Amino acid sequence: MAYVSMGEAHRRITEYLNRFCDAVSYQDSSTLCRLLSFSSNSPPLLSLADALNVFQDSSSLIRQSDRFSEYGEILAHVFRSLQSYRVGNLVEAYLAFEKFANAFVQEFRNWESAWALEALYVVCYEIRVLAEKADKDLTSNGKSPEKLKAAGSLLMKVFGVLAGKGPKRVGALYVTCQLFKTYFKLGTVNLCRSVIRSIETARIFDFEEFPRRDKVTYMYYTGRLEVFNENFPAADTKLSYALQNCNPKRERNIRMILKYLVPVKLSLGIIPKDELLRNYNLHEYTKIVQALRKGDLRLLRHALQEHEDRFLRSGVYLVLEKLELQVYQRLMKKIYINQKLSDPARAHQLKLEGIAKALRWLDMDMDLDEVECIMTILIYKNLVKGYLAHKSKVVVLSKQDPFPKLNGKPVSS
Amino acid sequence: MNRRNRGSSSSTSRVSNTYGNRQTSDNPRTGSGGGANDSFRRRSDAPLKRNNDEDESNNKEGDSADVSFIVGTCSSMCPERERVTRERLRDLAVFERLYGNPSKSSTDLAVKKFCRTLSAADVQASDVRPLPVLEETLKYLLSLLDSKEHPFEAVHDFIFDRTRSIRQDLSIQNLANERVIYLYEEMVKFHVISHKRLQSCSGTSISSMHHLNMEQLAKTLTSLYNIYDANRKPDYIYENEAEFRSLYVLLHLNPSSGVMGEPLSLWFRKLTFALVKSKEICFVRNLLRLYRMGNYKNFLSRTASEATYLQYCISEPHIREMRSVAVQYINNVCYKLQPYPLLRLSQNLMMKELDVESLCHECGLETCTDPDGFTVLPAKQSTFRNPEDKFKVYDLIGIERIER
Repeated sequence: MAYVSMGEAHRRITEYLNRFCDAVSYQDSSTLCRLLSFSSNSPPLLSLADALNVFQDSSSLIRQSDRFSEYGEILAHVFRSLQSYRVGNLVEAYLAFEKFANAFVQEFRNWESAWALEALYVVCYEIRVLAEKADKDLTSNGKSPEKLKAAGSLLMKVFGVLAGKGPKRVGALYVTCQLFKTYFKLGTVNLCRSVIRSIETARIFDFEEFPRRDKVTYMYYTGRLEVFNENFPAADTKLSYALQNCNPKRERNIRMILKYLVPVKLSLGIIPKDELLRNYNLHEYTKIVQALRKGDLRLLRHALQEHEDRFLRSGVYLVLEKLELQVYQRLMKKIYINQKLSDPARAHQLKLEGIAKALRWLDMDMDLDEVECIMTILIYKNLVKGYLAHKSKVVVLSKQDPFPKLNGKPVSS
Repeated sequence: MNRRNRGSSSSTSRVSNTYGNRQTSDNPRTGSGGGANDSFRRRSDAPLKRNNDEDESNNKEGDSADVSFIVGTCSSMCPERERVTRERLRDLAVFERLYGNPSKSSTDLAVKKFCRTLSAADVQASDVRPLPVLEETLKYLLSLLDSKEHPFEAVHDFIFDRTRSIRQDLSIQNLANERVIYLYEEMVKFHVISHKRLQSCSGTSISSMHHLNMEQLAKTLTSLYNIYDANRKPDYIYENEAEFRSLYVLLHLNPSSGVMGEPLSLWFRKLTFALVKSKEICFVRNLLRLYRMGNYKNFLSRTASEATYLQYCISEPHIREMRSVAVQYINNVCYKLQPYPLLRLSQNLMMKELDVESLCHECGLETCTDPDGFTVLPAKQSTFRNPEDKFKVYDLIGIERIER
């Protein structure tokens, strides 16, 4: 922490106070944003924090002027939070910021126009980020982390303030996205449901009115929820929307969307180009795609194991595991094609014994009962068209289109 | 003594959790239904006294005072004043009556009832049983399971209610050490075994009993997981933890079964590495894969050869489902001129041949005898339907290896 003289400290604090009050008087949202972005660690804020830690009695400065004391409560909390943040007391920084946020939201409510919306966004962002830092601190000290949960409650309150008829309502989607991030981090994603319902069914909201950036984020998270619930067509729609509308320069965001979109597309029988996987560094899917193309079950199992931890953490493991049936389909098709070359007249009859042999090649030992079971499943789920002649131990394929493509529909349950 | 006594963050934590958890729990007692979601929850975060406004207003400011939890002093299974009241009101369960007298009980027979509306103001230490008494109480209750005198429904009902009260006492006192883990594990076992035994009972109220039992099973499991997490040492799992975690997967095999909880994809995210690699979790993940694929043969043979008793009990509905699925698939895909032999089907479904025949009929399908005298299932019948009786159970060949 830099050395600051009392005089200099006094000057810096007063300057901030003036800036703040000017911003409010002249409805200067962008300045207000800068004054509140603690986690940006901007030099002016850091130097103000140093000043506060030296001066110590900032509330007396606030009381000195009528102009400042109008926002006395708000400013006192801001200072306390910034001070604590600077010295690494993250829990206190959060608590003070929470008090500031509550007071600020009250003021915001009273301002008729939506001039301070951007600043409100900053407040919402900071509340979440500070809460995350505070929780990290608590956990590392063996205490129970509950600040992020509290931040969630506050964000809900803000949402409530914005959910009205006036121009402020376009801010609701941003707050929704902050809530999503909060709930996803906490693991309480079921709480997303109520806010989703509000956005999608309340008549005051028109989805198209919201800023594009927020729409993309919203679709990303709701798309992910559809992935968790394995509603693949819905997941496809939402994640594709996010992809198409995402700023192409934001490569990191595109990668995040693709991380979930690729498994969804695979479940619908749509295979991405290798180029795409390369360009966005999605190498964890390379072997899976290969396994699908080649009908190689061993490769699929291996790929799942190799990245097991990563897939489990992102929640796509079960989705990828389900691709097994499509891999089987591809394998059957290969066997069929091979047979067509060597014995075209009898190609449409797949002997169970022949299938078992092909599987043994892939180090998968199955008895005929198991093979028969797999074939039964494939036929029932329309991945293979034909019928099973049990006594003859043969699957007779339909002459037309024996291996129907999924065509954008998931494998039937 | 491992009673959780870390730091002093309990007061606001309970308050903010009380606010935050309104949506997830409707039961004032058990560590909320949403508890499984948050692996960081400490035992003190259980929303104990949701209806207590006094508690909330006292604890609004900062992380200051450590609110002390009640330490129970009731030395018998039922608090004296409750027993006396219930004797007077003739509100004694069959098991509590002394020589069948509906208005007389004793300290050996009366067990504290579950009481839904509980606010801190009403609870006295003398009404709450300390851990040793709770241990004795549970031991006594579980000994009733073998009772031949009364129908199982009555036994279940009594133990169901009285164990709920035990959980309440544990929660009020914020107990969360290894002995408590053992108690919760025993109570989960009770619910699992009831889940199985209720299926062979009859009566109009069985269906709702079954449903309520499932509900409490889910809640007790959640509380158990919270305690495992609260006492977590890095990379350590308790002796039975893997098995009890595996039960959650089996409960949620079918996403539309209506069991409360988050989707499995989310649940797996939070398992520790040690748990993911444990034998029991690997086993159920395999079963999950086979179930979702519809691979009836491997699902049934794996279950028969590897499941523990508890896992088997929870799997019974799925075993039943997989068998109907098998019949459905085979009827649909087989060649009309080559009916499927029931003997082979019974081997694949780990069933007796006569049971398979019965199952086919339950599914609305006819069986017949082929020229060689074997019973077969003709294919492509159009009358398939899912069996109506959800609870009828056929033996699982191979499961006899589990002693009970």
